[in-house]
Amino acid sequence: MKPGMMKAYVHVIKLTFIFTLKQSMTDAFILFGIFVQPLLIAIMALFILGDQGDGLVIFIVVGSGLTGLWDSVLFQSGNSITRERWTGTLEALVGMPTPLAVIVFGKNLAFVTQSLSSMIVAYAFASIIFGYPLSIEAPTLFIISVVMTVLSLVCLGLVLATLFVLNPDVQRWQNGLEFPVFILAGFLFPIAILPQWTTPLSYILAPYWAAVALHMSSGGKPDILEISVPWAMMALLGVLYLFLAFWLFRKMLFKARVDATLSGQ
Amino acid sequence: MNTIEVKELRRIYKTNIGVIRRKVKEIVAVDGITFDVNRGELFGLLGPNGAGKTTMIKMLTTLLIPTGGTAKILGYDVVDQANEIRSRIGFIFGGERGLYWRLSGIDNLRYFASLYHVDPEVTMKRIPQLLELVGLSDRGEEKVEGYSRGMKQRLHIARTLLHDPEILFLDEPTMGLDPVGGREIRQVIRDLQSEKKTILLTTHYMFEADALCERVAVIDQGRIVALDTPEALKQVVSDLSVIEIEVFGVPEEILNQIRNLPFVDTVSVEDLDQKQALHVHSAKGSEAIPPLLSALEGVRVGKVTVREPTLEDAYVRLVGGKV
Ligand SMILES: Nc1ncnc2c1ncn2[C@@H]1O[C@H](COP(=O)(O)OP(=O)(O)O)[C@@H](O)[C@H]1O
Ligand SMILES: [Mg+2]
Repeated sequence: MKPGMMKAYVHVIKLTFIFTLKQSMTDAFILFGIFVQPLLIAIMALFILGDQGDGLVIFIVVGSGLTGLWDSVLFQSGNSITRERWTGTLEALVGMPTPLAVIVFGKNLAFVTQSLSSMIVAYAFASIIFGYPLSIEAPTLFIISVVMTVLSLVCLGLVLATLFVLNPDVQRWQNGLEFPVFILAGFLFPIAILPQWTTPLSYILAPYWAAVALHMSSGGKPDILEISVPWAMMALLGVLYLFLAFWLFRKMLFKARVDATLSGQ
Repeated sequence: MNTIEVKELRRIYKTNIGVIRRKVKEIVAVDGITFDVNRGELFGLLGPNGAGKTTMIKMLTTLLIPTGGTAKILGYDVVDQANEIRSRIGFIFGGERGLYWRLSGIDNLRYFASLYHVDPEVTMKRIPQLLELVGLSDRGEEKVEGYSRGMKQRLHIARTLLHDPEILFLDEPTMGLDPVGGREIRQVIRDLQSEKKTILLTTHYMFEADALCERVAVIDQGRIVALDTPEALKQVVSDLSVIEIEVFGVPEEILNQIRNLPFVDTVSVEDLDQKQALHVHSAKGSEAIPPLLSALEGVRVGKVTVREPTLEDAYVRLVGGKV
C-alpha cells in the first residue's frame, strides 16, 4: 500500500458512514425499522418479564439487542453490495480506485452503528416508561465489549455481503441464517443446553463471543482476564473474517466482470 | 505508445435460455476490434443499438473481462493492471443510474471525489467549478432525485472530472435527451476537448460524431466497418444520390425486388404516421425513378424527390440500411 493511502481510505470510510446514514435517515421505511420496531420489542419484552428481577431483565435486554444487531448484519450489511447493484452504482464504484471492500466496510459500520444506537435509545426509553432500572454492572468493560462487537460484526458482514452477491438464492440463505445464529450464539439462553457437537460452530461465530462478553459485563463484574478471552476471540475472528472477505471480494469481482453482472440490468 | 491501444478485442456473452432444458446461448458482442486512439484525440465509436459500443467501453474501463484480444490504456493492460487504469480515467454510461438519488448533487460529488482519493480541500474548491462547467451551480444543494434526466447526465460529467483524468470514456452521453439538453452536453465535451483530454465517445447519431470527433470508427455487429475522419467517411456516398419515395404500405417482396435492382445501392424504410418513406441510394440519380416506380406497381405512391446524400446516408450505407 502506498503511503497516504491509509489516510485516503479512512476518509472514504468516514464519508461512506455519513452518507449511508444520511440516505437511510430520509427513508421512512428504514426509520420505522430502526426506531419504532426496537421500541415495540423492548416494551413487549419488559412487559412480559413483569417482575422477574433485574438480573434477568438485563440478560433479556442485551440478548434481544444482539438479535436485532444480528438481523442488521444479515439483512442490511449482507445486502450492501446487492443494493448498490440495484441502484446502478456498483459498476461506478468498481471502476474507481478505492477497493470495494473499503466502501462496504464503511457502509456496514453505518448499518451496525445505526441499529445499535437505535436499540440503546429504545431500551433506555422503555426502561424509563416502565421504571425498570437497566443497570450495567461493569460499564467500562461493557463499552469495550460493544466496540469489539461492532468491529467483529462489521468484518463478518463483509464476508456475508460477498457470499450473498455471489448467490442468487440470497433470501433463503438469509432466512436460514437468522434463527440458528440466535441459538448457536447463545443470545437468549446459554449454549450449554445445546448438543455438544454444535459447540465448535458457536466458537467460530463472532456473535457468540460478543454475547459472552456483553452478558458477562452487563450482568456481573468479571475480572479482566476472564473477559479478555471473548475479546481476543472477537479480534482473532475479526481478522480472519477480514482475510476471508478480501479473498472473496477478489473472486467475486473477477467473476462479476466475467459474467457481466456488475450493472444488474 | 498510444493512449488507447485495442487489438483484436472480443467479447462473448453467455446467457441461459430455456427453463427446463437449460441451454447456453452465446452472443458475440464485440468481434475482433482493433484501433488506436492518440493522445488528446476525440475519437468516436458510431453504431446502431446493439453494435457493441457499450461492451467496448466497459472492457476499456476495466468493468468487463474480454473474451479475447488485448486492450491497453496508457500502456496498462485492462485485465492485469486494472488498478493503474482506474485512477487515470473517467467514465460515464449514458442514462440516469449510478448516482445516489437521495443525496444532493454536491454530496454525490464529495463522495465520488473521496473514492478517487482527491484531497478534501481540493474537492471543495473543484466542486463549484465543475457545477459551473455543467450548468448546475444553483441546483447543487438539491437532492438528485429531483433532477431532470439531462441534469443527472450533466452531474455524471462533473463526477467524472473530479480527479482530472487524462482519458475520458463517454458512452452515449446525450442518449435520451431533448435537443437542447443534447446541445448543452456537446458544448461541455467541446470544452473538454480544448483542454486536450483524450476522449473516446460512443454515439448512434452520425451528426454527433461529425460535430465532435476527429476520427470515427463505424461499428456494426461487433466489427469495425469503416474508420476515418468524418470528412472521409462522407466520401463513401459522394457518388450517390438519394431518391425518397412516399408509399402507403409496401410489401416485403417488393422491397427485396428493389434492393436487388442493379443500380440500387441500399434501401432504408422510415416509418411515418400512415405512410413510409423509402430512401433509395443510387448512382443513377433521377434516372432511377422510372424503373423504381414500375417496380412499385400496385403500391400507392406519394411524393417522389431526389436529394444530395447527407452524413446520415453515409452511415446508413456503412451499416447496410439497418437504421
Ligand atoms: N449482459 C449481457 N448479457 C447478454 N448479452 C448482452 C449483455 N450486454 C449486451 N449484450 C448484447 O451484446 C450486444 C451488444 O450490446 P451493447 O454493447 O450494449 O451494444 P450498444 O451499446 O452498441 O447498443 C447486443 O446484442 C446485446 O444484446
Ligand atoms: Mg450502449
